[in-house]
Amino acid sequence: MNMMNIEKLIAVSSSGKDFEFEMPLKDKIVIQGEEYDIKLYYTEESGLYLVWNGKKYPVEIVKSKQNKYEILFNSISYSFTIETPFSLQRMKVLKVNKPSVGNISVKAPMPGKIVDIICQKGSKVSRGEPLLILEAMKMENEILSPIDGTVLSVSVSKDSTVMKDDILVEIEEKKG
Amino acid sequence: MEDILEPSQERNPGKLWSPSFIIKLNRMDLSGKNYKDFIDRNEALKKQYSPERAEKQHSKGKLTAHERISLLFDPGTFEEIDAFVTPADTPVEFGKVEKTYGDGVIVGHGKINGRLVFAYAQDFTIMGGSLGYVHSKKIAKIQEMALKMGSPIIGMMDSGGARIQEGVASLSGYASIFQNIIQSSGIIPQISLIMGPAAGGAVYSPALTDFVFMVNQTSYMFVTGPNVVKEVLNEDVTSDQLGGAEVHATKSGVAHLIYDDEENTILALKKFLSYLPSNNVENPPVLQEDATPDINEKLREIVPDDPNKPYDVKEVINLLVDRNSFFEISELFAPNLVIGFARIKGKTVGIVANQPKVLAGVLDIDSSDKGARFIRFCDAFNIPLITLEDVPGFLPGYEQEHKGIIRHGAKMLFAYSEATVPKITVILRKAYGGAFIVMNSKSLGGDFSFAWPTAEIAVMGPDGAVAILYRKELAEAKDPDKLKAELVKKYRDKIANPFIADESGYIDEVIDPAVTRKKIVSALNALSNKWVKVPARKHGNMPL
Repeated sequence: MNMMNIEKLIAVSSSGKDFEFEMPLKDKIVIQGEEYDIKLYYTEESGLYLVWNGKKYPVEIVKSKQNKYEILFNSISYSFTIETPFSLQRMKVLKVNKPSVGNISVKAPMPGKIVDIICQKGSKVSRGEPLLILEAMKMENEILSPIDGTVLSVSVSKDSTVMKDDILVEIEEKKG
Repeated sequence: MEDILEPSQERNPGKLWSPSFIIKLNRMDLSGKNYKDFIDRNEALKKQYSPERAEKQHSKGKLTAHERISLLFDPGTFEEIDAFVTPADTPVEFGKVEKTYGDGVIVGHGKINGRLVFAYAQDFTIMGGSLGYVHSKKIAKIQEMALKMGSPIIGMMDSGGARIQEGVASLSGYASIFQNIIQSSGIIPQISLIMGPAAGGAVYSPALTDFVFMVNQTSYMFVTGPNVVKEVLNEDVTSDQLGGAEVHATKSGVAHLIYDDEENTILALKKFLSYLPSNNVENPPVLQEDATPDINEKLREIVPDDPNKPYDVKEVINLLVDRNSFFEISELFAPNLVIGFARIKGKTVGIVANQPKVLAGVLDIDSSDKGARFIRFCDAFNIPLITLEDVPGFLPGYEQEHKGIIRHGAKMLFAYSEATVPKITVILRKAYGGAFIVMNSKSLGGDFSFAWPTAEIAVMGPDGAVAILYRKELAEAKDPDKLKAELVKKYRDKIANPFIADESGYIDEVIDPAVTRKKIVSALNALSNKWVKVPARKHGNMPL
């Protein structure tokens, strides 16, 4: 396989849908056999926006890290990764091999007092989302979820004090 | 060179680089014997890198050494050397040695974004990329060339380790590679990309280099592998749990940057190199001046009024540096200290910033190690340091004390004080106690020290200070809480502010947050010819 002459890239959305587009980018894109005229613009005043059928739609890149993007389009958020044909194949190979992490316990990084609990038993959390707030070093620290998953249990209550490495929350990893 | 990671430009790096056999054979006179041998040899090498071997790598989610080299270098610029060497002629009484060309490693030089870079890439498809005598000689040769030419060297590791059949010869091979890395340290940037296994002695080659990149799920590093762990400790552990990219990026701090696949790793490396000079005598490349506004009122709104509320210091960084230029390093390890490269007016700077969002931005063992090593890299390679300070102090507790926060905190102190590059500090909020001294204070050799009006500079925080100074009064008071609140307020007004330090010259200026970038720019200009006379000595004795 010659992966060096890349003629197409694939956007893989978080829901698992693939969308291929040709490189270099063209102003016309094909969706389900139909051709659409779409242009992207950027100006200092109005930021990034997309023009389709003579209408302007604001696009905001909420997060972009490596090849992972989260965009806000027409107030709906979409997350996806951009893959080359090779990296897509790699993703599929590794998905099969990857062992499941299972349950993860979130531990207190330092001694302190729990001042607020944001998550609840059964709530779905994504990586980087705050679970609770721990006051330590005279500062309110957000304790973030290390994985995508579901909260199994919250082992502390508001205003309780915790020692380092006390288990705060248990999370079950999202499957797939 | 801007937006190097834009997929539209960079994901299309041109044709696959291939070794010398690409020459148009049909133009050659094939009658002479010398030419015939020449062509036969080229054909044999071509056969060796067969698609079946490539497929083996691809099925593990990895690229071949050739594909990695092709992605890394500008199209058509890579020149391989020693492509035809064969493994050392050792009598093999145990195991087997394949008679292959190249001995499992590709070495050479080429251009990355137009700049000369040397590289070696281990080839796992040939004897598992194992390091034999000839393999090590090739690497040592290219290392010596890189040092002589004053150009960065990139090592791409994908190796099963020392070649058992060759015995002590391969061990001595490792030693000569290590020796070269150490001799080049601080003279040329040395970067390791771990793209497969690196076990045993092999881990020390990346560990000695300046930065380590790893690829999630397909690379791992450990001194002793899962089999030995099982044998000795009877613990079951997978390679990934023991020394995968994620572990080294979050827990051990060995990996500075991790990526999800090899293409992203290599593209990131190319961008990373654009911040670095080729050697310790040159300055980093300068990009065109950026249109980022020098005065930005948004900066006034980031630090919350309540001193107990956290905020994200990366927001401050991103408003101070050229747009999108901040390249964070060791993001997941000791995140209470943020480090990374950025540009100001197109020139590279190193950023060191306390992160109030994580552990209140305290200094602890890991963050001290992380900061100290980064500061020393910047100092070695003429990269000015910008420190953004909001630190409540060192992390208290027996765990930190027993593990030696004294030794580790001293590294940061040593590194800052020793650095002779321009050093600028901006105190955003808290600057208490020993941590204030450590974070590039003026008396420790900091060149410029600015403070925002929100700064609190004092020996300790208001609560602690009041409890010590007014212990007796508080114990006797009818309403201790009320008295304490009054005293805390008084302390904050009278002592924990930036004005005393400003009026006595311990900082240079209290500034409006909005003009911070402007102040940094003029400070950097003023410091552009900074020269410090350092005493002659073999080397200082840094606490390690």
